[in-house]
Amino acid sequence: MTITVSREAKEFRRKVMETPGAEKLMRCYQCGTCTADCPIAKRVPEFRPRQIARLVMYGQKERLMEGDLLYLCAGCYTCYEHCPQEVHVSEIVSALRRISLDEGHLLPGFKALMEGVAEMGYIYEIDEFENEMREDDGLPPAPVPDTDGIEAVMRATGFLGKVEASTR
Amino acid sequence: MKYAFFVGCTTLSRLPGYEKSARKVAEKLGVELLDMPGSGCCGTTYLETLDHKTGLAVAARNIAIAEEMGLDVVTICNGCTEVLTKANRELKENPKLRAEVNDVLAEAGKEFKGTVEVKHYVRMLKEDVGLDAIQEKMEKSFRGLKVASHYGCHMLKPKEILMSDDPENPTVLDDLVATTGAEPIDYPNKLECCAGPVMGVRENVTWSVGLDKVKTVKQYGDALVTACPFCYLTYERCQLMQEESPNLPVLHIPQLLGLAMGLDTDELGIGHNKVPSTVVLERLEG
Repeated sequence: MTITVSREAKEFRRKVMETPGAEKLMRCYQCGTCTADCPIAKRVPEFRPRQIARLVMYGQKERLMEGDLLYLCAGCYTCYEHCPQEVHVSEIVSALRRISLDEGHLLPGFKALMEGVAEMGYIYEIDEFENEMREDDGLPPAPVPDTDGIEAVMRATGFLGKVEASTR
Repeated sequence: MKYAFFVGCTTLSRLPGYEKSARKVAEKLGVELLDMPGSGCCGTTYLETLDHKTGLAVAARNIAIAEEMGLDVVTICNGCTEVLTKANRELKENPKLRAEVNDVLAEAGKEFKGTVEVKHYVRMLKEDVGLDAIQEKMEKSFRGLKVASHYGCHMLKPKEILMSDDPENPTVLDDLVATTGAEPIDYPNKLECCAGPVMGVRENVTWSVGLDKVKTVKQYGDALVTACPFCYLTYERCQLMQEESPNLPVLHIPQLLGLAMGLDTDELGIGHNKVPSTVVLERLEG
């Protein structure tokens, strides 16, 4: 049987491999160390780091971008440290997240989280109420983040605009 | 000894026991931790996966504040540790990237110069204060108490960036536990991630990962210590969600150290720990 990798598929693979950290994809010889040691793969049958690497090699974009697959990686770097070929599947997952966002997609929870950082300077609201609780505990008020500065930085790179425009 | 203290969102708003104990123990050791005016979120470990440059810039804005203070940064969250250390290293080593990020940082009136270091609190304790100096401050002992350490991922990995301890055989937390007279123990899934980062995607996965560790530690030891707010919350919450809680005490590492130093439970915020630490407190001698 011949497997043909279409031009689009090759183009997608090239895009992934251009992302810093994901350059070594083609060194993967499918040993499966990543999947064997992945704390998520032990519990989630559809999350298989080895399969993610293979699907990228064959440019199977749709299967990779399906559902919440890319967001199941805990970023624990176990695959990064254990891979005998230094393929770094965790970095391949990051590359896929970036491509997905460039194409306008982000899970709603992550969208809210990133917009929250820009708006509040923290991932949660840390305001009067929280500072009163802190005072009761003898703690100093939380630093007041320069939210204008943070938002300006996140907007200057084009990131915040992409996040705001994104859909699932 | 003086540091810029980067507490991080989750501890600031959810875990006063961690922050209080970290501050008190530092004070007892003569370490000054100064708040960082204008600092905010490190960027989160997610942001760097979504946009590399933005991740670096948001992290570098915080580092620039410490640079203005002329102090190295001490963190108490593994996520912040990884994010800030990685940005600090990349920007110090790559002048082209630094210039690009500084262009963006100008929007916030900041500049990254590359003049400070970032380290986790436990690393500061071991490397800068020293285990002997910590030992000298101990007034009580947890002799006979078996304590399991959970390191968490981002204090150690990627190794080439964090360069702090061997991710396959880390020792810093066990060394600190030993200064209290307690027995640091090994257990089968010691190096497993807490899966906290997927809590917002598949909560049940995080609870399953958390419970596996709690149940294992329960077989081998009396308590679990953590050095990260996310790991702590995973191991605490996964127990509270059970009809019958395994009741494994989870402590922030400075709480254990502080108790052995003779600090009282209020000063260390022990009352905020939702799984009762009674079995630990009962074992304190002296």
